[in-house]
Amino acid sequence: MNPSTVRDNLKTALATISGMRCLDTVPDSVNIPTNGAVAIVGMLDLTFDFTLNRGFDSATCSILVVVGRMSESAAQDRLDAYLASDGSSSVKAAIEADKTLSGAVQTLRVTQATSGMITVANIDYLSYRYEVTLIG
Amino acid sequence: MAIFMGNKVAVVVGTTNTITTFVNTVSLNRELDVVDITAMTDTVANAITGVERSTLNLELYNDFAASSVNALFEDALGSKLNIKLIPVSGTVSATNPSYSMSCLISNWTPINGSIDGVASVSASFPVTAITKSNS
Repeated sequence: MNPSTVRDNLKTALATISGMRCLDTVPDSVNIPTNGAVAIVGMLDLTFDFTLNRGFDSATCSILVVVGRMSESAAQDRLDAYLASDGSSSVKAAIEADKTLSGAVQTLRVTQATSGMITVANIDYLSYRYEVTLIG
Repeated sequence: MAIFMGNKVAVVVGTTNTITTFVNTVSLNRELDVVDITAMTDTVANAITGVERSTLNLELYNDFAASSVNALFEDALGSKLNIKLIPVSGTVSATNPSYSMSCLISNWTPINGSIDGVASVSASFPVTAITKSNS
């Protein structure tokens, strides 16, 4: 499993969602597209030796989806669409559309989405943190 | 030789099908039958060994690709497969001996699904012949 390739391909998968701006580093400030969201692909937590003889490793990766300021009423509705298990805006569906990430891993699964808040430049934003488990 | 990690065992099915990358756990349990020969005059139970009755235990991740894990074992169901184990993948030597065996593929679990796990197979095969080699 090449972490850089995995993160790049996660970004590519998320970019298939209309209005989603994808990053692989935490920005100094959040520039959210109108009626869209920002997805930040986090670092991989890697567990070596999933199979014998350095065959495959397993990893988890957090993806933060930020939609808008806490005070923005439409932001929650957008989060609901991203949270859905299927549909064109579903984060889970977009990531699991190709479970090998173009061959970067053997398989993956989006296991969890947790609601929360992220503060960037003293501004509170609505967000969801997605957990992805990867094997490869 | 020294203490070594058990995470580099080579598992070869047939002569060339190395399935190591799909194996989570492997163990070869060599065991002999114990035949009781306790006589009337004995004060402690006595026994001798009989035939070897070894088993190969595998925890595998399944793969339905051609010539991969599922095809190798399910196609051999009811017959015997030659399987070779090497403690540390690489050159076989006196301190890294290989175990070549014939296993009766008496069971196989092609489908084993769960909501949160990788498709895996837990299999235990009786060993019908075994050779340990240093080269």
